[in-house]
Amino acid sequence: MTGATATIEDQLRAILRDVLGVDAARAEAIDDATPLFGAMPELDSMAVAGLLTEIEDRLHILIDDDEVDGEMLESFGSLAAFVRAKRGA
Amino acid sequence: MTAEAAPRICTYGNGEAMLAFGPASGPHLLVLQPLFEEMNRTRSLVVAVCRGLAARGIGCWLPDLPGTGESPQALDGLGWADWRAAVPQALAATGVTIAGSIAFRGGALIDSVVPGRHWRLAPTAGRSLLSDLRRSALASGSDPATPAGYVLSPTLAEPLAAADLSADDTNRTIRLVRDEHPADRRVDGIPVWRRPEPQRDDRLAGLLADDIAAWIGT
Repeated sequence: MTGATATIEDQLRAILRDVLGVDAARAEAIDDATPLFGAMPELDSMAVAGLLTEIEDRLHILIDDDEVDGEMLESFGSLAAFVRAKRGA
Repeated sequence: MTAEAAPRICTYGNGEAMLAFGPASGPHLLVLQPLFEEMNRTRSLVVAVCRGLAARGIGCWLPDLPGTGESPQALDGLGWADWRAAVPQALAATGVTIAGSIAFRGGALIDSVVPGRHWRLAPTAGRSLLSDLRRSALASGSDPATPAGYVLSPTLAEPLAAADLSADDTNRTIRLVRDEHPADRRVDGIPVWRRPEPQRDDRLAGLLADDIAAWIGT
């Protein structure tokens, strides 16, 4: 369970582990510069869709279809920035 | 360890495939699989649950819906009504009295067609399944008319978009611990329907078979 103090990055790492099966060591090594879509083998286009749905459900945001693009998923940092902006944090 | 009996291969409706697990005696359940890509990803879990139930003396009937799995029909010519109509055809082909259904994910959207009680794992609305397909196309820049390679007729997509879970007192809903939607029980396990590579979770399968056996035995 992620506590109230868990950062958005920590919560996203936990989702990547649970949803995509990224192992703990790899998840820990993920930083803002880590490329995602097109670089992470687990993240095919169906996995992207599932990841976004799980992010919506677990981080309580709504993602519009026109926000889903390569830029948002380019790196872990861009995904975290998107989620942070959505949460207004 | 004793050798498990292989499932029996049956057909129903217009040459659709159905696997039968377990003894002829004892209660029988119809198994409704997830829809679209999630069906492939969960196949191992679904079959492991069926084998687990068979070992507990419960018969399971696992049809492939028209246009899915081993179906001789193409999905693009089928509508939501065809999937709902397939359920009574499958029930008739079992030749036994079905006590209820166990449904995984989107399979729960058609479980109200099955008489009796309904057990569900992580059920989801049709709108969410369609959203996943659409976003997959958006993320990959592929043709949104054929998301993830699926060709959906309007007679399938439109009713599916409106399809939501029926609610009644005979339902039992199981979800994974990180899923905050309403549930009768939460269990720890891998969300195999999300995993891009098919995965097994034998511990989860055993736990689910125990839960179903206790539920149908009460």
